[in-house]
Amino acid sequence: MDVMHDPNLDGPLNELVVGSNLTAAKAPEQAILGEVQRCGYGEEAVFAIKLSLEEAMTNAVRHGNRNDHSKSIRVRYAVSPRRVLIMVADEGPGFAPEAVPDPTEPEYIERPNGRGIMLIRAYMTSVSYNDRGNEVRMLKENDQWRP
Amino acid sequence: MAAVEQSPTRERPFAIRVERRSRAALVVLDGSCPMDVSPRLSDELLKLADEGLPLLVIDLAGLDFIDSSGLGAFVSAYLKFRRRHGIVRLVRPQPQIWELLETTRLTLLFPVFGSVDDALAAAQD
Repeated sequence: MDVMHDPNLDGPLNELVVGSNLTAAKAPEQAILGEVQRCGYGEEAVFAIKLSLEEAMTNAVRHGNRNDHSKSIRVRYAVSPRRVLIMVADEGPGFAPEAVPDPTEPEYIERPNGRGIMLIRAYMTSVSYNDRGNEVRMLKENDQWRP
Repeated sequence: MAAVEQSPTRERPFAIRVERRSRAALVVLDGSCPMDVSPRLSDELLKLADEGLPLLVIDLAGLDFIDSSGLGAFVSAYLKFRRRHGIVRLVRPQPQIWELLETTRLTLLFPVFGSVDDALAAAQD
């Protein structure tokens, strides 16, 4: 779906493009969390958004762009008092999210890696990917929002 | 000179303090452990595993954020301690960290204690 026609987009869409490394990846987090806090989100929602952003950016750097520092990550986001919509795209070939094993299953529980996607799903209201699998779309509704 | 405005989202700096006890290492974590810091946590924990101590106790009371790579550092330490017949115990996670441990079901790997003394004493059982 074209993001401009996304019914969950109820604020201006911002875009940041940063270098593909874990230090540069902090800049979008700072910008988004700053707006989230100004919009009055509760502590749990801030934690959830921060965690999901960290996971998405880490996946983009390590798995999507495969630690190639010449590549970039594009972050698009819209923050309103009602909801936060964030899209993180890398330059990789994409992946099939449904093929990623459940890290809570006994045979995978002792793996040091592989929990990021599950955590994003657990902490955000909804999560989806583009057809290519190189952009994650994360939505967080503000439970405390009242019209 | 203009004052530097402090970001409202600024993370508390991450700190690791290591104390050696008779048959254990106590690691006290403080602040936030985000994606760019977790390799440091992993390095510290794996170094302790190399010492061959039978018990690692990680005090989480001061830890207010950790991501999956930080949790992965706990798992890597768990695996390395286990290879040497050692164990890893967690102590006093804050509610949001506790929820993370439950969501990932890592509470199946890590016994969680209410105090450092309890975690250390359990090693002598």
